[in-house]
Amino acid sequence: MSGQYHRPHRWAWWTERPGYMRFMVRELTSVFMAGYLVVFVMTLASVGGGEAAFAEWIAALGTPAWMAAHVVALIAAVWHAVTFFGAVPQAMPVFLGERRLPGPVAQIVMGYGPWLTVSAVIVWWVVR
Amino acid sequence: MANNGKITLEIFRYHPETDSEPRYQSYEVPYNEDWVVLDAINWIKDHIDGTVTHRWSCRMGVCGSCGMMVNGEPKLTCAAFLKDYHPRAVKVEPLVNFPVERDLVVAMDGFMDKLDAVKPYIIRDDVNDTSEGEYRQSPAELARYKQFSMCINCMLCYAACPVVGHEEEFLGPAALALGHRYNKDSRDEGQSERMEVMLSDEAMWGCTFVGECSVVCPKHVDPAGAIQQAKAMGAQEYFKGFVMPRGAGE
Ligand code: SF4
Ligand code: FES
Repeated sequence: MSGQYHRPHRWAWWTERPGYMRFMVRELTSVFMAGYLVVFVMTLASVGGGEAAFAEWIAALGTPAWMAAHVVALIAAVWHAVTFFGAVPQAMPVFLGERRLPGPVAQIVMGYGPWLTVSAVIVWWVVR
Repeated sequence: MANNGKITLEIFRYHPETDSEPRYQSYEVPYNEDWVVLDAINWIKDHIDGTVTHRWSCRMGVCGSCGMMVNGEPKLTCAAFLKDYHPRAVKVEPLVNFPVERDLVVAMDGFMDKLDAVKPYIIRDDVNDTSEGEYRQSPAELARYKQFSMCINCMLCYAACPVVGHEEEFLGPAALALGHRYNKDSRDEGQSERMEVMLSDEAMWGCTFVGECSVVCPKHVDPAGAIQQAKAMGAQEYFKGFVMPRGAGE
């Protein structure tokens, strides 16, 4: 229909609401996760290069700059994981008959619980 | 009725016959603690300027027609109290992410088409004769979708969704929640038919889960949750297609 007014595109949309900002921060944490995956792959590669290469790589990872990067990546990963589990009750509601499990319980049943179980199995498998 | 002076409303004005660009007009109205923004707009229309155009009907958060941006936030103006803004001025604008028809009124055609696209009705393979009675449903089965059936089509979620702002074709929160509502209804057999629409790129995979639709929804429908649940169901259908190709797993 003619005569309608269309607002201009809002390029800075993500600054408009705190919720948009939180979304952008969460998206950004993925970059750190991807980066750390690269570090992990490089660590595996150094293992392939022999004992000396591995020791050298591990020593390099212990420098202050790398330590700072580890801390930042850890914070990003924890934030990513916590917000992921926070969304679990919304994406995977659990019903007992007519009643829906309250959010925190659903987070444990569908999120933290299975994650801890799988982690425990892996730890057991590695250290046994 | 407490009456502590005045409050200023700054209203978005756009009349297509005379304006090429929108403008803002300020009005001073009596301040009443128990007034909502809609009362103030109605007062302006009745006492100061009859040309101000806006939509409303029920005044009680049921009809979904009074949605506007109030100080930048998508709100039902019949549920937004002046006392939460006073003594600051209140800026009232039409909902963002929609074309503006006139002043505070937005064009709803696109939204209506999107609601229609998800086939928001019960689909049955064979429809029982009314003499056979109603399709029974247990309270537990009702609980699976009841939340998603509370939508009043106020479109606040579309104004809060950045994907809707970027992608005109995106089906959007309310329509996808409505489709999910029928997919979750134990009386319905139309899920695969509906999923053909809901699985397209302009539908649920367009959602990046910003989640602000659920924050602004006045009826706690949680459209963001509905869409993530629908994604899980869609992924299941997709994998079923791998395991049992050629129309199996319907
Ligand atoms: S889902 Fe909520 S915000 Fe969106 S149209 Fe329905 S009632 Fe309004
Ligand atoms: S006037 Fe009906 S919802 Fe506000």
